[in-house]
Amino acid sequence: MINIDLFVLTKIIIVLPLVSSLISGYCSLLYNKIKNIYIDFISLFAVGISCLISLYVFYGFYIDKYKTLEVLLYIWGVTGGVNLEVGILIDKLSSIMIMIVTFVSFMVHIYTMGYMAQDPGYKRFFSYISFFTFAMLVLVLSNNFLQLFFGWEAVGLTSYLLIGFWFNKESAIFANLKAFLVNRVGDLGFIIGIAAILYQFGTLNYLEIFSMTTKNNISNFYTFYIFGYECYITTFICLCLFVGAMGKSAQIPLHVWLPDSMEGPTPISALIHAATMVTAGIFMCVRMSPIFEFSQTALTFVLIIGTLTCVMMGLIGIVQNDIKRIIAYSTLSQLGLMMAAVGVSAYSAAIFHLMTHAFFKALLFLGAGSVIIGVHHEQNINNMGGVGRYMPVTYITMLFATLALIGFPGFSGFFSKDLIIECIKISNMPYINCIYYIIVFSVFITSLYSFRMFFIVFHNTKTKSILYNNVKESSVFILLPLLLLTIPSIISGWVFIMHIINNYFENTIFVLADHNVVSFVKEHYHSRLDFMIHGCFSFISLLSLCGIFVSYYIYIYKPKLPYVLKFKLKYIYIVLVNKYGFDIFNELVLTVLVKKISIICGKILDKYIIDGIFVNGVARSIFYFSNFFRKIQTGYLYTYVSFMIVGLLILVFVMINS
Amino acid sequence: MITLIDCMLFALILFIIGLTGIFFNRKNIITLLMCLELVLLAVNTNFIIFSSLSGNLEGQIFVFFILAVAAVEISTGLAILVMVFRQRKTINIENLNILKG
Amino acid sequence: MKQIIFYFFSFFALFMALFLILTKNSIHAVLSLIFTFILTSIIWLILEAEFLAMTLILVYVGAVMVLFLFVVMMLDIEEVIKKSKFVKLWPFVIFIPMFLFLLTFYTYNHDSSSVTINSILIQHSVDYNNMRELGTLLYTRYLFSFEIAGLLLLVGIIAAISLTFRGKVGNSHYQNIRKQINVSSKNRLKLKN
Repeated sequence: MINIDLFVLTKIIIVLPLVSSLISGYCSLLYNKIKNIYIDFISLFAVGISCLISLYVFYGFYIDKYKTLEVLLYIWGVTGGVNLEVGILIDKLSSIMIMIVTFVSFMVHIYTMGYMAQDPGYKRFFSYISFFTFAMLVLVLSNNFLQLFFGWEAVGLTSYLLIGFWFNKESAIFANLKAFLVNRVGDLGFIIGIAAILYQFGTLNYLEIFSMTTKNNISNFYTFYIFGYECYITTFICLCLFVGAMGKSAQIPLHVWLPDSMEGPTPISALIHAATMVTAGIFMCVRMSPIFEFSQTALTFVLIIGTLTCVMMGLIGIVQNDIKRIIAYSTLSQLGLMMAAVGVSAYSAAIFHLMTHAFFKALLFLGAGSVIIGVHHEQNINNMGGVGRYMPVTYITMLFATLALIGFPGFSGFFSKDLIIECIKISNMPYINCIYYIIVFSVFITSLYSFRMFFIVFHNTKTKSILYNNVKESSVFILLPLLLLTIPSIISGWVFIMHIINNYFENTIFVLADHNVVSFVKEHYHSRLDFMIHGCFSFISLLSLCGIFVSYYIYIYKPKLPYVLKFKLKYIYIVLVNKYGFDIFNELVLTVLVKKISIICGKILDKYIIDGIFVNGVARSIFYFSNFFRKIQTGYLYTYVSFMIVGLLILVFVMINS
Repeated sequence: MITLIDCMLFALILFIIGLTGIFFNRKNIITLLMCLELVLLAVNTNFIIFSSLSGNLEGQIFVFFILAVAAVEISTGLAILVMVFRQRKTINIENLNILKG
Repeated sequence: MKQIIFYFFSFFALFMALFLILTKNSIHAVLSLIFTFILTSIIWLILEAEFLAMTLILVYVGAVMVLFLFVVMMLDIEEVIKKSKFVKLWPFVIFIPMFLFLLTFYTYNHDSSSVTINSILIQHSVDYNNMRELGTLLYTRYLFSFEIAGLLLLVGIIAAISLTFRGKVGNSHYQNIRKQINVSSKNRLKLKN
């Protein structure tokens, strides 16, 4: 191994995507006439090098060659005793994340060359996705909250730009505004959390804060009283940070933007809304584990929200008709599962599932994109059918991805999902039994909707499709990422499971001794084969296999059955189609309320009170005042004389008295 | 016996009459100027009183100068009055308020 | 005896002053002011300021009040029938005189209430001449002020004339002496054959 300094490698990883983004952006603005091939080479080269180096770094951490490195790059400012820094913190957790981010980004870059080949905004797209890679790397590699927030906002911005990439489409503009605004609501909580951290700890640097929480006695911290209950500030901090994570990782109730974000091109759905940006919230919660561990309330809240998201979003996925939306709701459901894992303090399991989910979900999205191109941009699955015969590579890769998603034994998703569910089972958080059964139900629902999509799109030859004749396999640029992504989505679970159980992240994730469910799991399983065999015959796998057969039965064997069910369960169907009314609530209640408040603030507060009373009022009062005093100048001589005399007498009086 | 306070009272009441003439003058400017003269006269009388009290002739010197200045002032004032009359054709005080603010 | 004269003249002077401000006729006002001056001059005589008493009559009455009379007779002064707003300015009438009275009595030391005018008047030597003493003081110590006062009077003259003199107005027949002297027979005589 060439012993290159870790710091240099990290700098290269971060800077290369930024450079390629700037070049692509510059070309798209000013040199739009040059051939796209140059931009291809530059972007692929940059992100490819970044990907290889981050794989190397990850390998270095994997074999324990590299140790945790924290470098302070630059002090941006000092205010009130707080250092605002720019720095790098690279350790096992960050290395996994950068591996995921750069690998999926590289795949998406290759994919874009095929998918967006005819799009006029080609160079702009490359610029945006390279910038996104850079922003995500900054977020993951930061060592303080300010840089984290910068990366947070930057990925939100890029998501906005990319969802509205086809800005001439009105629905795209609605969707990107919605995404940005909902993200902003989450950011409000995030900023309040950062402010509370600053108030309590006096610093924004991770390692300083973590040393303060893990070593000091928690009861020394600031406490405040709400409704008579004593509440530590750590609970407040964790809840506020989790609000930010809710906005970014699309938990209920701030999940409404993710399905609408499917208005953007498919590559970005794969990159941003499946693999990387939405996992930023989970990454943040895991990174802040030293703080979260000390607040039982916050962990319970995270657990409940995660579980609710998992099951409710899965149920919606059954009734969706757009291929991308089904996969979007599947993402939402898996994010809920990851948050539930964070809630039971199984942080390693959450990260593990994050990794495997990134691979197979990106594969699912890219495959869906391939299908969409194959059927000439039709996205409604009811108009597709039997595509599998015409697009074999896509068929095989999608099959593997779906099997990984539902947790079929042997694939990567199986290991991570089973680990999480085991952790939930043996945890001792409140309400854990109920939550366990809800999660198990959601596993069934997951396999139901994912195989619904799979069967209807690829198998359903009985449906008449007008597009039968021209469906053909996509170009090599599209197929290559599919193949490359299949590899990790199959084997990454098998490779890493024992490391995860054996406390791979021991220096970076902090878990209190009585919460450490992953180590409890370790006592039960001693090898991978042990885990796999146990998992094969567990209730969960049987349930997911059952889901496959049920969906085959409902959607292929008896195609009229869905309609009968829809009729019989009409009310449930209506609730699910309206997405539990979240969108309706936002549109009818929240927006109207905000509009009314803003009208009050604008017209009454601003115009009448501030302008009328304070600004104009001052002028007018001066006017009235001077109008009153103007009458002293009567023009009559005797008035003036009398004033003079009175003044003189006053003067005499003063002189006598002094 | 004439007391000091008698003399001072005389000057004082003359002064007050002059003041009230200035205030309650609704007729014309001539009255104003004449009441001004009264005021000056009262002040002069006061000076004379104290000059004879102390035997110091400085008071009378000062009265001398006051007389001179008063004469100049009256003549200038009357010249201005004549000018005003030429412009306004009236010296009624009620009509002379165009400098009203 | 002096007492009676003093009180009589002082009351009369005050009465005339009152008449001045209460009368409607302007000529009467001017005449009452003249009379006030004369009476006050007599009082000044009692107080042994002879020169100034005479100066008062000569300068004030003789020059200034005559000026007043000229102006009053030149301008067309209408008689005002309107009632003055006495009630509106009642603070002036009540408070200011009260204040002045208080001032006077405050500065006046009550212990010396026995200071009478006989005792306040310094006993002078027999050939004491008020005018001579005044002149001595005026021309030595206050010479500068004296000269300035003269200059002030000059300025007053210039001011009054430059304010009101408008030059030749209309067809005024005034005599230009120079032209009259410089006339020659050519301008006046014409021989007719």
